[in-house]
Amino acid sequence: MTVTDYSEALTRIDQPDWLAGDRHDALDRFLTAGLPDKRQEAWKYTSLDHLERAKLHPPATEGSESVCPDVTAYPGHVLLFQNGQLACHGTYLSNQFAGTLHHWHDTQAVHEHLGRVAGNGALASLNLALWQDGARVYLPANERLAMPIFAVYGAGEADAMLHPRTLAVLESGAEAVLVEHYLGQTDQPYWQNAVSEIVLGEGARLTHIRVVQEGATATHTGLTAVRLGKDSEYRALHIGLDGLLTRHDLVAMLDGPGAAVRIDGVDLTDGRRHADLRLRIGHHVPDTTSRIVYRGLADGRGRAVFDGHVVVGHDAHRTDANQNCKGLLLSRQAEIDAMPRLEIYADDVKCSHGASVGQLDTDALFYLRSRGIDEAAARRLLLEGFANEALGLLDDCHLRDWLMPGLRAALSHRTDKEERS
Amino acid sequence: MLHISNLHVSVGGKPILKGIDLDVMPGEVHAIMGPNGSGKSTLAQVLAGRAGYEVTQGSVHYLDRDLFQLPPEQRARAGMFLAFQYPLEIPGVSNIQFLRTALNGVRRERGEPELDAIDFLEHVKGKLALLEMDDAFLYRSLNEGFSGGEKKRNEILQMAVLEPRLAILDETDSGLDIDALKVVARGVNALRSPDRAIVLVTHYQRLLDHIVPDRVHVLADGRIAMSGNRELALELEQRGYAWVDDVDESEEAKP
Repeated sequence: MTVTDYSEALTRIDQPDWLAGDRHDALDRFLTAGLPDKRQEAWKYTSLDHLERAKLHPPATEGSESVCPDVTAYPGHVLLFQNGQLACHGTYLSNQFAGTLHHWHDTQAVHEHLGRVAGNGALASLNLALWQDGARVYLPANERLAMPIFAVYGAGEADAMLHPRTLAVLESGAEAVLVEHYLGQTDQPYWQNAVSEIVLGEGARLTHIRVVQEGATATHTGLTAVRLGKDSEYRALHIGLDGLLTRHDLVAMLDGPGAAVRIDGVDLTDGRRHADLRLRIGHHVPDTTSRIVYRGLADGRGRAVFDGHVVVGHDAHRTDANQNCKGLLLSRQAEIDAMPRLEIYADDVKCSHGASVGQLDTDALFYLRSRGIDEAAARRLLLEGFANEALGLLDDCHLRDWLMPGLRAALSHRTDKEERS
Repeated sequence: MLHISNLHVSVGGKPILKGIDLDVMPGEVHAIMGPNGSGKSTLAQVLAGRAGYEVTQGSVHYLDRDLFQLPPEQRARAGMFLAFQYPLEIPGVSNIQFLRTALNGVRRERGEPELDAIDFLEHVKGKLALLEMDDAFLYRSLNEGFSGGEKKRNEILQMAVLEPRLAILDETDSGLDIDALKVVARGVNALRSPDRAIVLVTHYQRLLDHIVPDRVHVLADGRIAMSGNRELALELEQRGYAWVDDVDESEEAKP
């Protein structure tokens, strides 16, 4: 990709005037910084060199031939984007609550927060310059949605470069469940570079599920940036099922006393898939809590990288932070890098972390087989059980039935492969 | 039902079982006793099909099939059940999910229809009551955080649900207090029937007060040193295992 390719992409975006300046500034920032490379500490394990060499283009403006995902498969309100554009609006919610950024950009929440939460990193800047559309969720004070909102980002065009953007603002006391589903519909390479900005007012509560199920040769880079007000709660579940290279950065800023985050993550890797999940939790004020549970599975030559970085600031007294990460290696060539990290500057805190990487327990396998469960089913049961420890949020928001078929398919795909090898 | 003939088994090249002969008929309860290291548990594990045990000589037939030709899951589906001495903890897999998967595997083999969640619950309720277990057990992760007694009880629950033809209980009494022992014994006794057989592997006589065996065998140094009726167990209790060694050495072992 050359400077011209990126600049050319910007000229093709149909945009309101008030955003044009920000977009050009953002592009300049990206072009100055360039794509992240392995010399940067945060990108030590994940290389984007192939993007440098690739020739990618913005999606075609006219509808491509790829098949649109089935909107009825989502049990809730649906905003379905296909190759960067809204393809289906399956919600009866008021447009004030849930709409597209493209049509509803001229609102106070967008003016106030768009581009202000995600920071000025290279990829976030590139997204800010080139985003075309995405979900905008705005809940006024004390508005509580009973059903989840699904923002589906489908990609079906070869060599496309997509920059979906999500903004969710929950005013004080508001509650919602937001599910982002990144879905590949082609075996050809493409790149989705997503940014989600989330702002939670006092006592607001968001459950945020992010499913990355890109195409087998696709690249996914994503940033979720969350700002938490007083007594607000952010609960997230990251699920990485597919995509040749996927990277998700989640940054949570606990800015109000009493704020709490719970982040669960599961990454399944096999073949040559590489999945990198990177958390940055900033405890900035007193009396905040964070809970992190990560489960990574690596088969074939797959690689799962987890970096959980929790920073407890000088003033963040009585911080309560705990993280637990486990990896399961299913083949000799697989690799898991699990790095829980604690950086503590305050004195009165309760912080802990644990990490372990192991193999499938042959005794447990025998135990299940001795009860008449065949070996493949026993393996599936154990793998599912392993992942399950990070899937509790699915029960809380009644989405287990929606997600498990996809997760089971991904697991049994891996089990079958194991048997063949 | 079970026919063990001149069975020799090594672990890591070291002989553990040195010629076991044993016949178990339908309806019978056999107790296999012996001091630590006599090979009791090895025998139980080999029968269930655990890896790492090398059969160097002899044969085992179960329901006229060569047992060693069957992988562990086939043995279970053919009606064999081993209650583990140390049941494993499996986080993330609920007891109910595990039990239903196991039962449906066995039912498929028997040519019976699989049970859905509701029918399964019906099937398991009575068994829970028998073992004085709370419904909440079903929804906990398999054995995770269970006390020693709860784990053993859960083994017997699995047995009650799967309704095996041949149940082998490996030191199921160890670590149980007397009340738990009675509950477990009740679960086992409820399963006694003319077409089922039970093999109790135990170090102590006390289990046999509650589950009365038809035959008692004493294992010493990898062989059956003595066999008898339940009086033998009582005599052992009086005299201790050293007595077996003495008798064995003077070659007075009864067949």
